[in-house]
Amino acid sequence: MIATVTASGLSLRYGGTLALDEVSLRLGEGVTGLLGPNGAGKTTLLRVLATAVPADRGSFSVLGHDPGTTAGRLDVRRALGYLPQTPGFHQDFSAFEFVDYVAILKELTDRTARHREARRVLEAVGLSDVRGKRIKRLSGGMRQRVALAAALVGDPGFLVLDEPTVGLDPEQRMRFRELIAQAGEGRTVLLSTHQTEDVAMLCHRVIVMDAGRIRFEGTPAELTERAAGRVWSSAERDPSARAGWRTGTGAFRNVGDPPAGAHLLEPTLEDGYLLTLDARTEVAA
Amino acid sequence: MSGSTDTITQKAPTGVEPSARGRESRSAAVLALARFEARELLLQIPVLAFLALYIGYVGWRLFIGGDGMDDFPILQEVDRATQSTSLLPAVVVFICANRAVLRSRRQSTDQQFDILPMEHWRRTVAHALSVLPLAAITALVVGFQFTWAALKPGAVGHGSAAELAAGPLTVLLAGVLGVLLARVIPVGFIAPPFVIGVFVLTSLVSAFTNGSHWVRWLGPVVTEEGADPFPSELLGRPAAWHALYLTGLVVLGLCAAVLVSGGRTRLVTSATALALAATAAGVAGQSPDVSGSVIAARTKASVSPQQEQTCVRHGRSTYCAFPEWTGRTADWAAAVDRIQSRAGGSAGGERLTVRQRIDARGGLESDAALPPSATPGHVTVGTRWGGNRLPEFAVGVASVLVAGNEQAAGRMCDARVVPIMWLALSTQPDPMQSLRDVRIDDSIEGLATALAPASPVSMSAQQTTVVRELLQKPHYSVAAKMKAHWTELTSSKTPTARAAELLGVPLSGKGTSADSGSGKCED
Repeated sequence: MIATVTASGLSLRYGGTLALDEVSLRLGEGVTGLLGPNGAGKTTLLRVLATAVPADRGSFSVLGHDPGTTAGRLDVRRALGYLPQTPGFHQDFSAFEFVDYVAILKELTDRTARHREARRVLEAVGLSDVRGKRIKRLSGGMRQRVALAAALVGDPGFLVLDEPTVGLDPEQRMRFRELIAQAGEGRTVLLSTHQTEDVAMLCHRVIVMDAGRIRFEGTPAELTERAAGRVWSSAERDPSARAGWRTGTGAFRNVGDPPAGAHLLEPTLEDGYLLTLDARTEVAA
Repeated sequence: MSGSTDTITQKAPTGVEPSARGRESRSAAVLALARFEARELLLQIPVLAFLALYIGYVGWRLFIGGDGMDDFPILQEVDRATQSTSLLPAVVVFICANRAVLRSRRQSTDQQFDILPMEHWRRTVAHALSVLPLAAITALVVGFQFTWAALKPGAVGHGSAAELAAGPLTVLLAGVLGVLLARVIPVGFIAPPFVIGVFVLTSLVSAFTNGSHWVRWLGPVVTEEGADPFPSELLGRPAAWHALYLTGLVVLGLCAAVLVSGGRTRLVTSATALALAATAAGVAGQSPDVSGSVIAARTKASVSPQQEQTCVRHGRSTYCAFPEWTGRTADWAAAVDRIQSRAGGSAGGERLTVRQRIDARGGLESDAALPPSATPGHVTVGTRWGGNRLPEFAVGVASVLVAGNEQAAGRMCDARVVPIMWLALSTQPDPMQSLRDVRIDDSIEGLATALAPASPVSMSAQQTTVVRELLQKPHYSVAAKMKAHWTELTSSKTPTARAAELLGVPLSGKGTSADSGSGKCED
């Protein structure tokens, strides 16, 4: 992999909590998923990489730019598209005006080129027809797409997406996955999500975080592989399992260290994720 | 975890114009944002409403609601009269610029926008620049007001660019202060209570300092209006210093907002120092009270105006005016000629001296009445012309023609008021309206005082009735009787009833002492 974004020893403390603990990573072109439970430090990591907050220790570079200097930080910001967890909107702006406004803040100065760019990204997210509509009149899914369009303005080399599919209905989520997949072509996308499905379907690499540390970095297949031989089925919940839940068939799906002779099942990415977190999670079927 | 060995150093964005890089391009980005914000500001409903109110009010004053005096504008008064109305756009600009800066915070776009390349301080500059079109609109309105007045045939005097600049600068200052307030106290809806607070504070400070000169000039707009406009050289207003003070404040406010936003560049620091110096110089220049030389000039113009004036002859009479008003003597002469043409006896051919007088000793805001002249044949005219000033001047001229001088006319309590008022008002385009206009209570019945530039005259109820009846008759029929009985009508011994009889006006009811011919005034 050719690394476009690298981080080394990033640490950040919020009060008494170590939100990031010696995080080092390497990202390349394509979509990288960032998985982790609530409070794992995913959003903090994204905000550090997006230059929104500085790390207490460590360093990183984005597309060769060092954000440790004023000029470097500016270059990183120029190369960055950021979609926060709960994006805000200027409700009285039309979708086009909002994207145009972001384009101005990204310092696209030529008015004609900027307007062309705003139309391009709105078309890319499928909002050409409603670009003149005020944002307050758009549905939640459409607003999320406006935020993605704003992040895509200027064709950034590094796109940071913080749980972009939260709150979307299944159809909208599918549409969004399609957009993210397109966005990942030719650029580096870091996608923070709770949805292992998103990672399985979109990402060519995955990072698992917990308690401010990186627990896994590799391909989705490698994460899935972690659960190979460690998922089995049983009629009742196996007390030795680290996690277990009743499936639609009525049988229990157990994850952990199987007993001898257990009926092993094909592992999924979620199984690998659970085992990586080493959590004893019980999920009711 | 799969290993990797290579790291790319740069990946250029594809398919779009590159972002701004150089200082020039970054400035272009600021201007682009300023344009965007200016459009947003101009489309705000409160801004549109206040602009409509402002332009509508100015238009109404110019085209519909003005009194007749607006046809004879005095340009050194017109210029500063543009200032107070500019507070309308200033207030709304302050509130809306403040809200525009706080839009991101209010609508939670901070977290997205904070990491965009354009820094906060540059956005602050853009917000401040976005106020410029509104200041430009104000400047256009002010310019139009002044030009409209200056192009009127009756315009006199000289305007001041510094006075005209105060309005647009006030709008600009309000916008910049709105931006600064948002950066210092980033709380929504603080601007309206802030405006109210400033108003209350200003009133309190003004009350505690008795409206002293230097305190008043700390405000953006200083309008000083009195009864009679002064010649330009007697104004003594530090308008240029005030313009410098306002300009300094604008730049200082902008620099403060930029510094608060994190723009601590050498340029900003230098601009802050310069602005501070300009503001201090402005304050120092505008704070001293009116200079001794101006006070001396005012006294001279008040006490011995003949030393300052130019006199010209029109027909039999002489007309003396301050230099800026010499073009108006023809209007005075026309009014005098009309009155004399209807007067009888020697009054029709009397040589008058019409002299422009002011009392500038009390300052620009003085309402001091001019003392009547005791010199026979001398008529006072003020610096205003048009509207009510026309019949008032006519009353003054007729008073001197009938009573001999202004002082005598002011003491008069007899039926000579009848020929005075008829001579004065029958020469007006709408005599009955003029009767209302010159009387203090705007009535055409009963006892009242009729105004004149220096010597108001008292009218009893009976005299008012006679005058009203006469004004409703064709002037040529009255003029003949007036001339035929001039000697008796202009005698202080003639009772009102006799005057009415001579002029063919039926009169009923009991008169007062002023109607008796005794010369005693009513209580």
